[in-house]
Amino acid sequence: MPDLEEQLTSLAATIDWPPTPDLRRALHLPTRGEVSGESRRRGRSLWQTRWALAAAAALLIVATLLVYTPTRDAIAGWLNLHTTFQRTQSPPPSPSPLPSGPLGQRLSLGTQTTLDGAQSQVAWKIKVPSSLGPPDEVYLKLPPSGPSGDEVTLVYAQRSDIPASSETGISVLVTEAQGRVNEQFFQKTLGPDVTIEPVSVGVHSGYWIAGKPHQFAFADANGNPFFDTLRLATNTLIFDDAGTIVRIEGDMTKDQALHIATSLG
Amino acid sequence: MEGRPADDSELIARAQRGDSAAYEEIVQRYQQIAFRTAYVITGSAADAEDAAQEGFVKAYRALDRFRAGAQLRPWLLRIIANEARNRLRSAGRRHRLELRLTEGFRPGDAAQSPEAVAVASDERRRLLAMVSTLSEEDRLVIASRYFLQLSGEETASALGIPEGTVKSRLSRALARLKTRVEEAASA
Repeated sequence: MPDLEEQLTSLAATIDWPPTPDLRRALHLPTRGEVSGESRRRGRSLWQTRWALAAAAALLIVATLLVYTPTRDAIAGWLNLHTTFQRTQSPPPSPSPLPSGPLGQRLSLGTQTTLDGAQSQVAWKIKVPSSLGPPDEVYLKLPPSGPSGDEVTLVYAQRSDIPASSETGISVLVTEAQGRVNEQFFQKTLGPDVTIEPVSVGVHSGYWIAGKPHQFAFADANGNPFFDTLRLATNTLIFDDAGTIVRIEGDMTKDQALHIATSLG
Repeated sequence: MEGRPADDSELIARAQRGDSAAYEEIVQRYQQIAFRTAYVITGSAADAEDAAQEGFVKAYRALDRFRAGAQLRPWLLRIIANEARNRLRSAGRRHRLELRLTEGFRPGDAAQSPEAVAVASDERRRLLAMVSTLSEEDRLVIASRYFLQLSGEETASALGIPEGTVKSRLSRALARLKTRVEEAASA
């Protein structure tokens, strides 16, 4: 076996680095001696511009959905929002029978796997709420359909005190992904039918979203905006567990959600 | 290593006289190593791009303080790596680095059988995965020295530590990695 340092050196030639941007083209050199704060402001504006463009696109889409009925279905389809928007418009008179097969298969949660299978695929530690016990189903979503850094969803069917959705048969969804919350942006993408309350989950900051939120946007592991559908369109607790964004969705109270969140480990 | 010191000196002198084209040539020459260094520190391509761009602007403002005869590349990397660390800190994120290997052949593979290439590729992947399990301190020094192929002085600049510390830190990181490799081989 070759020397360890030799092997490490040989790795350098095979690493798949992200493409280097043309910084020279993007560089707008200040006049020498200008105030030193200018470049910092410009750097921030690059970031803000990315989010602003994404926010503008999201708001435009939402506005279009609300105003132009004929195109609503098509647009909802593009965003994988079909089910949730139909539900807010006109709930079916009686619950449709649950489909056979895995509970999460209709929700585009990714590929069904096991906890061990998902853990072997992602670079971060998947946390399971001890208060809910082992999940009934586990799904893994990889890029490009999932965010950079991957996404894992734990599906819980019937759980005591938390009613299961008549349409999905699911009580609780726990979704975990690498990234960080951009507060101003995600609040804009939630829609008008919700209330947002800042909460603390242990030492972490989070948000209790009550109502019927449909969409959640966050910065993925590469810092790019990623739009994700809130599948149950019901009360949701979102918090940042030191780089892992955890979402807990279900028809539950804030205290129930916080109890689940603090039992994650 | 990239660049030639004599050319750098000339470009620096011209840039110090206000020749922005000379500085743009410096940026073009070092943007790849600058971006990758920032990427190793932040683990995010978007943050690395912002950090490298911001760093180049800051370096341009600081050209008057560049010491004549000094090496340009470590000086630039120090500024850009510092910017990258600040971004990681202000974002409140933990350091993480997900490096992947390119698929297919690499130089030297052509003479080997497909089976040998596949085994070598698998070994490289396992080694990279083991590096990613090390502590942040160990990962950064190994990535800087071997994956970015920075010199000792440049690694010290990028990590913001004395060159002597680079040597001791690297030695300890390699020892820990070797232990893990041996444990995996005997498992």
